[in-house]
Amino acid sequence: MATPEALTTAEMPPPRMTTGPAGWARDNLFASYSSGVITIVSAGVVLYVAWQFIVWAFTSADWSIIPTLGGTLIIGQYNSVTVCDSQNCFWRPQASLLLVTTFLGIGWAAAGGGLARTVALAIALGSALMALLPLPLSEMGVDVRLLLAANIPAVFLGRAIGLRTPLGSLRWLIILAILIYIASILLLRGIEGVPGLQPIASRYWGGLMLNLFLAVGGISMSLPLGILLALGRRSRLPFIKVICVGIIEFFRGVPLITLLFMSQVLLPLAFPQGFPLEEVTRAAIVITLFSSAYMAENIRGGLQGLHPGQAEAARALGLPVWRATIHITLPQAIRNVVPAIVGQFISLFKDTSLVYIIGMLDLVEIGNAFIGGNREFLDNSRELFIVIALIFWIFNYGMSYVSRRVESNLGVGRR
Amino acid sequence: MVRFLALVLVLAAAAMVLTACTDNGDPAPENGDMMSRLATVQERGTLVCAINTSLPGFGALDDDGNNVGFDIDQCRAVAAAVLGDPDAVEYRPTVAGERGPTMQAGEVDLMVRNTTWTSVRDATWGNFAWTTFYDGQGFMVPASLGVSDPLELDGSTVCVLQGTTTELNLEDFITQHNLNIRVTTFDDQAPLSEAYLAGQCQAETTDRSGLTSVRATFDNPAAHVILPGTISEEPLGPVVPHGDEQWYDIVKSVVAILIYSEAYGIDSRNVPTAQTGSRAVDRLFGLGDSNWGQEDLGLSQTVAQDIIRAVGNYGEIYDRHLTPLGLQREGTRNALWIAAPCEDCPKGGEIYAAPLR
Amino acid sequence: MAGHHTARLLTYQGIPVWRHIVVIQWALQVLSAVAVAGLVFWFFTNISNAIDDRDIPYGFSFLERAYQTPIGEHVLPYDSSDTYAYAFLVAASNTVVLAIVGVILAISFGTLIGIARISSNWALSRLALAYVEFFRNVPVLVLILFTFYIMLLLPPVAESYSVGGRVYLHNGGLAVPWPTPAGQALPALAWLALAAAGAAAGVLTHRFLTRREAVTGHVSYPLTAGIATALGIALIFWIVIALLSGAAPLTIETPAPTGRFSTIEGGLHVRAGAIVMLISLVIYTAAFIAEIVRAGIQSVGKGQTEAALATGLHSVGVLRYIVFPQAVRVIVPPLISQCLNLTKNSSLAAAIGFADLTNVAITMTQTAPAISIFLIIMAAYLLMSLAWSAIGNIYNWRARIVGT
Repeated sequence: MATPEALTTAEMPPPRMTTGPAGWARDNLFASYSSGVITIVSAGVVLYVAWQFIVWAFTSADWSIIPTLGGTLIIGQYNSVTVCDSQNCFWRPQASLLLVTTFLGIGWAAAGGGLARTVALAIALGSALMALLPLPLSEMGVDVRLLLAANIPAVFLGRAIGLRTPLGSLRWLIILAILIYIASILLLRGIEGVPGLQPIASRYWGGLMLNLFLAVGGISMSLPLGILLALGRRSRLPFIKVICVGIIEFFRGVPLITLLFMSQVLLPLAFPQGFPLEEVTRAAIVITLFSSAYMAENIRGGLQGLHPGQAEAARALGLPVWRATIHITLPQAIRNVVPAIVGQFISLFKDTSLVYIIGMLDLVEIGNAFIGGNREFLDNSRELFIVIALIFWIFNYGMSYVSRRVESNLGVGRR
Repeated sequence: MVRFLALVLVLAAAAMVLTACTDNGDPAPENGDMMSRLATVQERGTLVCAINTSLPGFGALDDDGNNVGFDIDQCRAVAAAVLGDPDAVEYRPTVAGERGPTMQAGEVDLMVRNTTWTSVRDATWGNFAWTTFYDGQGFMVPASLGVSDPLELDGSTVCVLQGTTTELNLEDFITQHNLNIRVTTFDDQAPLSEAYLAGQCQAETTDRSGLTSVRATFDNPAAHVILPGTISEEPLGPVVPHGDEQWYDIVKSVVAILIYSEAYGIDSRNVPTAQTGSRAVDRLFGLGDSNWGQEDLGLSQTVAQDIIRAVGNYGEIYDRHLTPLGLQREGTRNALWIAAPCEDCPKGGEIYAAPLR
Repeated sequence: MAGHHTARLLTYQGIPVWRHIVVIQWALQVLSAVAVAGLVFWFFTNISNAIDDRDIPYGFSFLERAYQTPIGEHVLPYDSSDTYAYAFLVAASNTVVLAIVGVILAISFGTLIGIARISSNWALSRLALAYVEFFRNVPVLVLILFTFYIMLLLPPVAESYSVGGRVYLHNGGLAVPWPTPAGQALPALAWLALAAAGAAAGVLTHRFLTRREAVTGHVSYPLTAGIATALGIALIFWIVIALLSGAAPLTIETPAPTGRFSTIEGGLHVRAGAIVMLISLVIYTAAFIAEIVRAGIQSVGKGQTEAALATGLHSVGVLRYIVFPQAVRVIVPPLISQCLNLTKNSSLAAAIGFADLTNVAITMTQTAPAISIFLIIMAAYLLMSLAWSAIGNIYNWRARIVGT
């Protein structure tokens, strides 16, 4: 921006040094007076905020609420006598986590490294590091630490499986994902009559585990649903179009917490008494519908961005409409809106924190409830919320990082 | 390809069914409401109890996430009575504003969540069993303000919890005395307490028991005064859904057992298993020929033994959860009304249930 | 023969009906219509049965009853003897005001961050990036609660920070001087109406002079003339009304601590709940708007910027006159959806005690049928979202007119 001035001056100074740290700093930090002022002010703001935070974090902050709550934040009430009396069911979420890391290992083998490797290793390492948390042994038994640490061997075991068996193919991965989902649910819910697996009501899913479950369920259901709604909205059949537009606009226009409230107040009445539909499921249905309305709009954006020639060429080749959609238009449309879709995944994950309105003890609400019931921790809510925000941030930032990598692998914007 | 897609669809359907279905195949009766709630609960194997998770002493979470409190133990007593296992309770945390709809939907068997018995709630929410705690709405202010009467709060800001009768009572109080009081309504206890401590509102109002328990956990309880005088009547007790009188009577009897056991001096350590000689005690614990209607209610002859062994009598429950918070019982309305054998009754309190005979 | 006859009956335009595209499409539509109608009917029957069986209260007759419950803060005048219907209106107006102020602040702040994001200054662009990446990835509820706990660090009302005895900041809110009608409301309202008319006249003057300048080249300082027109009209009527009614229509009311609790009375008092909601919603939404603005600016070809710089335009001028007018078309549609999101996120106000529509609705469920109440507020939110869409559509329509 400063170059035009240089051109208008008659006497030009010798060219500035553009290499080395000093040159870099001059170009990027002190290119002009205003730029220099901005640099100094932003550095000042950053240093001041960071300094204040560090002073507070190490002097007046009391972080004891975090180890006190400990695993409760992550797995809700699964480490309590309320949920599993006379036996420890803390291991059940841990075991399903092991299944997930093994699966990621297989995925790593299938993808042959790269992004899949980063994700698998990061998650396994993160889980294993939890074993090193400075919690007393009474809070977190040896068995739990071993189970957590086992996540690292599990990922390599998964990789070995993927490399040596035919499980490392895309089809098997999809089937495995669903199987592991089923196995995790069986582990968490328990099976009547099996020793060690006493049934636990889904009401007790809580903590980060609940957020993750709602998010994974919501993500995997809202994408296909969103695609259907988007196709329906673009359909030439007037009735189908009207219905899809109605669903999309309704769910986009209403706040999620009013929908969640209705899911507990009105939805049970809409089914006959005794219909097996639990609260968690109802919440998940509402969250999924809410998210798929947004997803539909994202995918519609992608479809509109496609040149109509693509579909016309496919039809000209004799492909029926549905085949042309599945094989030609949809893949391109979705590829074009990967960032928007991942953005929607992220907001879905964040929105799972709203289940507090119907009394579910997710990560945010379990902290809130604990403080409400144990008022000696009233002063520590800032510490607690910083940690909760950080947990959400790590997951969401991870997702957006993966999305950017996928985006560049797919070559969006470069073709 | 087609076979693969079919496999995926079947598996996904299985996963969805697993997620959606209730644990033990909820007995969905053919024609809606033919099954009694007692039978439903016994077939299900758990009692669904709506509770609070953030009121110390009454219903809260401990470090490990266990539900504990005075209200929780009442759920446990009912579970011990109808299922023989005090732990067979499925707790359903409920936000204050959600209580009415939850009861009306009939999804919970019982609600013990510091709920005030009012005529409107009785008419629309469900039936209230015996009152297990008498409360009244009061105000708490920092001692430094020098306020000694609620009427002096003119011109202040008062914090109140959402979806409670306290909100309505407060409005009555303000209008009645023509005061200029600003009201801030919170939907959760934790931010409310923080707002009060930080001085965002000059006073906090809720049931006096709530104020006492909140104050007990403050760093410096002496710095806060609970003003004398109550502005409302707040009888708290268990609520059952409308439509099943047998179930209503069962819950009332369980409360009565807790109360009469204390009156007879029976606690969890001296539950009689053989005849004691006291006709009243033997009848209560099902140790003689006479009974108090256990069979008609569908309960076992010795149900009182199960209950008292599991959770203790009313006094024990009170001492376990409310005494540590500084909620004095002696000489208050929450002392027993009855003392058996009835020599010097009434004892001055108002905790009462219909005689078990 | 009979077979041939049937086959002819089952053809349409010479194609067997089960293969004819029109027939298939119609069949599909009829089938889905039947399925949807059946589902709706089933739900409806179940709900009405359940309402009958379980004595669940419903209906809307409660709307005419007195609400008799306090509403913490209100833009419209409110008294607890007002009806439920009016209480809904009061609560909705709180939400609307919060949404409008929030959107204005979020757009301004978000645009600044978005421009900072593409600044050539490394420190500034990294700072903006860190801001965006942090606040986009944190649930808004956590942000609201956290802002609330930060707000509580301010001193209580008796020890307010005060600026010259005119502005007060404390953990219960912010009080600033505000023009209020001195005596009766009528002169003030009349003056406000006339001043608004004056402002309209100013805008028209500005537009007329600009157009004339463009056509004839006659220099007439349209902006100055417009502002002067508006101010002049306002001033003249101020004097007229002051002479007619014997007092100035509006006086600046200064807040001051009053009473034994030193609560601040007078002026404009924005209470803590509203401040916390505004700050957190603006911070959160601005992170998204910043990305939209950045993408919009980057969508304008680099050649445009270079050409503008080459003509000697200053970098601010380049943004203002060259890049923004083109970027706005890309920016507006996603921006509208952020406005809608901000409005919807304001429904989380119950967590920190601001009396927005949802907070009041939850309180109402104590004394009125929950189902009816939530149907009403869902309709209200749908209306607000329609309003945002309408604004977006009007903009799109105007942009198209300008473009052709």
